[in-house]
Amino acid sequence: MRYVVGYSANARGHDAVNLAVSLALGRGASLDLVLVVPEVQQSGHAVAPKAGFENLLNEQAQEWLDQALALVPSGVPAQAHIRTGDSDAHALIEAAEELGADMLIIGATSTGIFKRFTIGSVASALLHASTVPVALAPHGYHRQEALTRISCGLGTRAGAEKLLDFALGMAVNRQVPLRVVSLLALDGGDAAGAAEAAREYAAKHLAAALPGGGQEVREEAKSEVVVAQGRSIEEAVDRLGWEDGEVLLIGSSRLAKGRSIFLGSTANRILRALPVPMIVVPSDYELKHLNHSASNDTPGEAQQ
Amino acid sequence: MSADHAMSKPSHTGQQTGHLSEQQHGLSEKGLKAGSVGLIGAVVIGISCIAPAYTLTAALGPTVAEVGVQLPAIFLVGFVPMLLVAFGYRELNNAMPDAGTSFTWASRAFGPWIGWMGGWGLIAATIIVLSNLAAVAVDFFYLMLAQLTGNPELADLTTNLPLNIATTLVFIALACWISYRGMETTKSVQYVLVGFQLLVLGWFSVAAFSHVANGTAFDATAISPEWFNPFAVGSFSAFAAGVSLSIFIYWGWDVTLTMNEETKNPEKTPGRAATLTVLVIVIIYMTVALATLSFAGVGETGLGAGNPENQGSIFAVLAGPVMGPFAILMSLAILSSSAASLQSTFVSPARTLLSMGHYKALPQKFGNISPTYKSPSYATIASAVAAAAFYVITRTTSENALWDTITALGMMICFYYGITALACVWFFRAEAFSGARAFFFKFLAPLLGGVILLVMFFKTAYDSMDPAYGSGSSIGGLGLVFILGMGVILLGVVLMLVMAKIRPEFFRGKVLTRGH
Repeated sequence: MRYVVGYSANARGHDAVNLAVSLALGRGASLDLVLVVPEVQQSGHAVAPKAGFENLLNEQAQEWLDQALALVPSGVPAQAHIRTGDSDAHALIEAAEELGADMLIIGATSTGIFKRFTIGSVASALLHASTVPVALAPHGYHRQEALTRISCGLGTRAGAEKLLDFALGMAVNRQVPLRVVSLLALDGGDAAGAAEAAREYAAKHLAAALPGGGQEVREEAKSEVVVAQGRSIEEAVDRLGWEDGEVLLIGSSRLAKGRSIFLGSTANRILRALPVPMIVVPSDYELKHLNHSASNDTPGEAQQ
Repeated sequence: MSADHAMSKPSHTGQQTGHLSEQQHGLSEKGLKAGSVGLIGAVVIGISCIAPAYTLTAALGPTVAEVGVQLPAIFLVGFVPMLLVAFGYRELNNAMPDAGTSFTWASRAFGPWIGWMGGWGLIAATIIVLSNLAAVAVDFFYLMLAQLTGNPELADLTTNLPLNIATTLVFIALACWISYRGMETTKSVQYVLVGFQLLVLGWFSVAAFSHVANGTAFDATAISPEWFNPFAVGSFSAFAAGVSLSIFIYWGWDVTLTMNEETKNPEKTPGRAATLTVLVIVIIYMTVALATLSFAGVGETGLGAGNPENQGSIFAVLAGPVMGPFAILMSLAILSSSAASLQSTFVSPARTLLSMGHYKALPQKFGNISPTYKSPSYATIASAVAAAAFYVITRTTSENALWDTITALGMMICFYYGITALACVWFFRAEAFSGARAFFFKFLAPLLGGVILLVMFFKTAYDSMDPAYGSGSSIGGLGLVFILGMGVILLGVVLMLVMAKIRPEFFRGKVLTRGH
């Protein structure tokens, strides 16, 4: 298991490293801290040569990465990489594909004052193009312990099974409970009926996803289904209890092309209210990347 | 840059076992980006660095004021020292590629004090050009508003001092912000801007010549071979001033010579690109210069190119009468090229300041790189503040700020290019006579170029003491150009002494050592 962490030497980068450590701890994953430096161009009236600036930039980048590696506890293997690219998002996706990473982890933003999550431009670009799941650390994420619960936000669209498989894999591998969450924004209508329908739907999919069709649920895969309601999605998210060591998984919108991620409007609204990290899984994301197992242990979040 | 290069690049890995980090690769192994720019791309970059529409509108008037109809001759002659210095520049850049350029090279050749002043000259020149670029952009911004709305009064807004200063500061702040964010003009935008500039300058020339042919020119003047004779210039003072101005119009051309790393064929492309760039530039300069002189003459009234009123920004005055309703294209070309240049030029002083901070020649803060945008952070903002301050001072003390800043700028370029060229001669002195190639490129060319430029510098500095020099602004009986030029250099000396006091390592020669 390898996780690529999009690192920058600011609060956002620290959030990402902390989340990466939390995700890696229960899973024995190794981290690849990637710092993207821009392509340096030669420009201006007076010659401003790129070579020299590139050296200074790389020196500084190496220094930043050394500091970043110091943030990672000794139990988690980590490597640092400098990548060059005009687009941070593009360079990160490339790095993730090249390293055969199972997840890309970044900090959401450092400027959200009132909201926990504001999607920065890099995160937003990533969410639109990544072919691996993207984990977003909320602003100020400082936890460095293994996860305690996996939540999975379930919509009613196709692809829910794959998302649940992925969530279940994460929960089983980490030996933590899985919570399947249905978020409902209700304006008046038949609240109880809608909730019941959502619960049934989620339970059905959960049963299908569980090994042995739910008949013989494995001991470690404790799971529950909850339905949260509110006048808005944001309120529904607020009403749910969240553990500090929890993450929420959601699938990307059906607008996504093929195996890439596109965050739908609902997911965006969830993100605004969510106090815990969010992992966005590309639609049709295949769990096993057997074709590039750069790491020695079992690739992917597949169940073992 | 294309994706495949980034893919093939080795990444620099610091492997961590526990907290023991071990460097697997040195940074020097940074992958080369060979193959990214072809000949045309390099020429576009060269032309875009020169920004001919901007340099012509800024320098044509002041040069005519000095040398009259010998404008084409001076434009041609001005290229010679630039070429000679550029050869030396290329040698230094190959031997010591460094963001500090003149600063680093002069320090390595002559030690910390002259090195510091070389760096200061480069920074001062780029700061001055930033303020001039912003001012030109603002002039054409208001002119374009007037042309768009058909209300000529809007064009006069630029003469409203507080409004002009405020708008210019906004332009500088915007360009600084863009540069700080690490955003750079993309290749395709550069292509469009360069193509558009050449097209509009060509249009202007054709329109001017057809006015001459139709007898509708302001002051139709027949082209004479004397225009190409540099010896016909009245005095050595005028010649020196003209040459230092025409150095400015080629400034940026040397970029093409130093682009080894990113060209498809590093052996041949830079040389060909430099040649092709200068051909394009010389053709366009000659055509526009001849067109302007034929159409407007050098008379000192009305549209005449010798009219002091017109000299700050010649196209602002001439584009309308020459191009008619299409003059708005000229405004657009100059506004876009000077705005793009404004933003890209910020990179130069910022990188030099960063480098000086890195080598402990300036306070530590100048060496800061923004963790979020990976651009020189403190240095970029410092450059913007300096450019803004320079503009406010010039604008409030000069009768024609654009004219005087360009003259001071020419002087400053001569100063630091001169130092750089001589640094090349001195640095390579041991190998100067090792072969014909080394003799020419490392010794003769930079020596000649450096001496010419320093002579131009001292001559212009001496002449500019005359209160009537340049636009005729003066303070305390001394010409404003002299005050600006010498003031900036003197300020550099003072700051250098202060730095030597508070951060002496660099000045003891401990950071950048002399010689190889």
